[in-house]
Amino acid sequence: MAATSASLRLFSQKVLQSPTRKLHTSFSKALILIPNSLFYLFASPISFQRLSKSSPQPIVRPRSHPQQQQSASSSDPPADDAVVNLLPPALREIVALFQSVGDDPKAKYQQLLHYGSQLPPLDPRFKNDEHRVRGCVSQVWVRAFPDPADPAVVRFEADSDSSLTKGLAALLVFGLSGYPAPVISRVLPEFVLLLGLRQSLTPSRNNGFLNMLKIMQEKALQVHNTVEGDCSDDYDDYHDDRDLTINVNGWRPLDYAAAKNEDYSSSADAEARFVLKEKDASLARENDMDGHAKDEDDSALVDGDEAEAEAEADVPLILSSGTGGRGERIKELLQSSLSPVELDVEDISHLHSGHAGIAGSRSGETHFNVKVVSAGFEGKSLVKRHRLVYDLLHDELQSGLHALSIDAKTPSEVKQPS
Amino acid sequence: MAALCHFSFVPSHLSLSKLFPISRQQSPFHALNLTTSSNPSLAAADSQSRLWSPSFSVTASTTAFAPPEHSESTSLGDITRSDFPILGQNVNGRTLVYMDSAATSQKPNYVLQAIREYYESSNSNVHRGVHYLSQKATTAYENAREKVAAFINASDHREIVFTRNATEAINLVANSWGDVNLGSGDEILLTVAEHHSAIVPWQIVAQKKGAILKYVGLTADDVPDIEQFKESLSKKTKLVVTHHVSNTLGSALPIEEIVVWSHNVGAKVLVDACQSVPHMLVDVQKIDADFLVASSHKMCGPTGIGFLYGKIDLLSSMPPFLGGGEMIADVFQDYSTYAEPPLRFEAGTPAIAEAIGLAAAIEYLSSIGMQRIHDYERELANYLYNSLTSVPNVRVYGPAPSKIIHRAALCSFNVENIHPTDIATILDDQYGVAIRSGHHCAQPLHRYLGVNASARASLYFYNTKAEVDFFVEALKATIDFFTPYK
Repeated sequence: MAATSASLRLFSQKVLQSPTRKLHTSFSKALILIPNSLFYLFASPISFQRLSKSSPQPIVRPRSHPQQQQSASSSDPPADDAVVNLLPPALREIVALFQSVGDDPKAKYQQLLHYGSQLPPLDPRFKNDEHRVRGCVSQVWVRAFPDPADPAVVRFEADSDSSLTKGLAALLVFGLSGYPAPVISRVLPEFVLLLGLRQSLTPSRNNGFLNMLKIMQEKALQVHNTVEGDCSDDYDDYHDDRDLTINVNGWRPLDYAAAKNEDYSSSADAEARFVLKEKDASLARENDMDGHAKDEDDSALVDGDEAEAEAEADVPLILSSGTGGRGERIKELLQSSLSPVELDVEDISHLHSGHAGIAGSRSGETHFNVKVVSAGFEGKSLVKRHRLVYDLLHDELQSGLHALSIDAKTPSEVKQPS
Repeated sequence: MAALCHFSFVPSHLSLSKLFPISRQQSPFHALNLTTSSNPSLAAADSQSRLWSPSFSVTASTTAFAPPEHSESTSLGDITRSDFPILGQNVNGRTLVYMDSAATSQKPNYVLQAIREYYESSNSNVHRGVHYLSQKATTAYENAREKVAAFINASDHREIVFTRNATEAINLVANSWGDVNLGSGDEILLTVAEHHSAIVPWQIVAQKKGAILKYVGLTADDVPDIEQFKESLSKKTKLVVTHHVSNTLGSALPIEEIVVWSHNVGAKVLVDACQSVPHMLVDVQKIDADFLVASSHKMCGPTGIGFLYGKIDLLSSMPPFLGGGEMIADVFQDYSTYAEPPLRFEAGTPAIAEAIGLAAAIEYLSSIGMQRIHDYERELANYLYNSLTSVPNVRVYGPAPSKIIHRAALCSFNVENIHPTDIATILDDQYGVAIRSGHHCAQPLHRYLGVNASARASLYFYNTKAEVDFFVEALKATIDFFTPYK
């Protein structure tokens, strides 16, 4: 793969990094001028959270007999914070969105129904028993498969003949797609209580939500275990045939925004506001450490001081400079562990502003392209290389980094430009 | 007054009321008072839970059911409502409109009191022991049996076997009678509208014995095809299993004729009367069924008890179902001898309090009068059907009511393009209306009708026309809620 990443000029536009509550009112136009089609290779959005090396933590600790427990702590339901921290960023955003809708259950149901209507219909050939979720009063089908762009993570598709169940399925699909199985396994069903939908958590043969989540977690693990085995080292097919106008969660940022605008045109905050700004290289802003919007109840007006970590005007072959705090940290981390001969870190957060994976975090620095050429990758499969990078960057991932697009090669695999 | 002899059965002239004095306030007859109950605490609860708004149209701000302040009508529903403490509560901020009585009925204070008083004054194990309490309990329990026998006009109280519910009763017949009487090639005839409890036990036994299940389909009017039924009867038919009233279609079958035709070919008949016994007079002498089953919880009685009616000759010829205490005569190490029916089929300590609760429920229903209940419910049934079918895009299953065709006061329905679960969820969440969605334990029926699921509103004598009106308005609003997303 030619290292023609040089001189990619990216216009970073300031788009509305709206708080999630205004997600439905804001309009994000990711206007990207791509001079070089190779840019697409770096722009595959992959969301990720920390991959633990060990087997996925069990959700339920084995507990002693309730009569014999000394403290009540092991039988208390998990605290909200504990639950939220285990959620992948996309799902966290969704939770925040629901909370911002307000207390009216009708509005929440409408939000749920809207999510459901965004779910693309499932290919009928997957509407069979193998994909059916048992234990729902309606029919629900769920499909899990490795992301073609990154086999280390799992994508979902789902459908249902009940609109409300479809809404719940959509929530899970959008919230869980694009993460590796261990991350998905850590999600506690209790998060649904934070949505305020009056969803019961009582295990019963009819608890569709619980059963859906469980099945998705199981299927994700199955995918994970299959992929582990047969991931090929031939990364040349890594980059072909992806439709990059649709992000991993199945949305086109523009379509979604347009749909939002229609549906909520009657609501009070319906004006779409955004600011296009060309930023130059130097400005960077500290991240919100946990990646959430700082204040949820701001007005819809664009905060002119919203920082946006810009993309570099020049991307040198060895090291890029001035990509802001996070970019620096990423570079340092990779530098120290991998001693790369080539290291390229690029903030592409502005490309992803406006979809649920990023909405609510205003300060950018959420999506990065990382290109690393290091002898440390010798002998490792593609999946293992990616996991190595994820592990090195896990603190960043815990603190607001949503997605990495990783290009990991050994020196012998890189053809030097002539 | 210690009794010196131990007797198992109490002579039938001993009446229940001597055993647990119930305060006059709680007697079933107070239900006929037009004012709310004379129990002061109950009246207070009533006034708190009622919204005294004169209209109950569904607007954005008053989406709650409000019973009329001064009822012109003295419908049975209006009169009896106050007997049911659970009906006054709020659900999701709205007054509960309970329309799921086909799944389980609500219980009047009279029944609740009877159960409580049993535990407070009479509780003891039955059929054993000579002390005062055990006799009291035994008497009460056996009186309950007699009450049930009288309720369905059985000729002998020994023909009533208490079970956990109708499902267990059918399993009893399948595993006891079925085990000795069914063989390879024998046929069991059912309708596609049967409840799972009337199907699955027979599937299990048929598999063991090599018997075959045959099904009668529906006519274009959504009723079981009687002609097809007659044609399906043959010498091979050993048993006919059929509902009396369908829990999904709302239709009633000509049971007496079915029994006659079945007996003509030498087949026995098991009648699933779960939806009929609570709502109308059922006379097993007239029907002449060999077996009949019903559940207490659908007829204002507690859960955990039901009964099997079986002709005494049949029961006497049947081997035990469950083994253990109570159903034995003598027990040796390698074998035992068994008791006569009905105790032969009642192993272990029975649900004594529940049996007494069932007896109280029967007393309560009888004090209103089953005919009166039936007449009122016919009105409700027609009203519900007509109101529901007037909503656009609603399809109600089962026959249309007419002079000849009586529908039960329930409607299973589907709204075009909206899943019944969605309907039921919003009806509950936004309007406090409780209906059921799913297959109502009748998957073969739904498959036959070509649908995955349906919604069902089912009424009992404590419902009113006003509630039906509210339900229909709420349904329309719910349909509007979903329409933009379709």
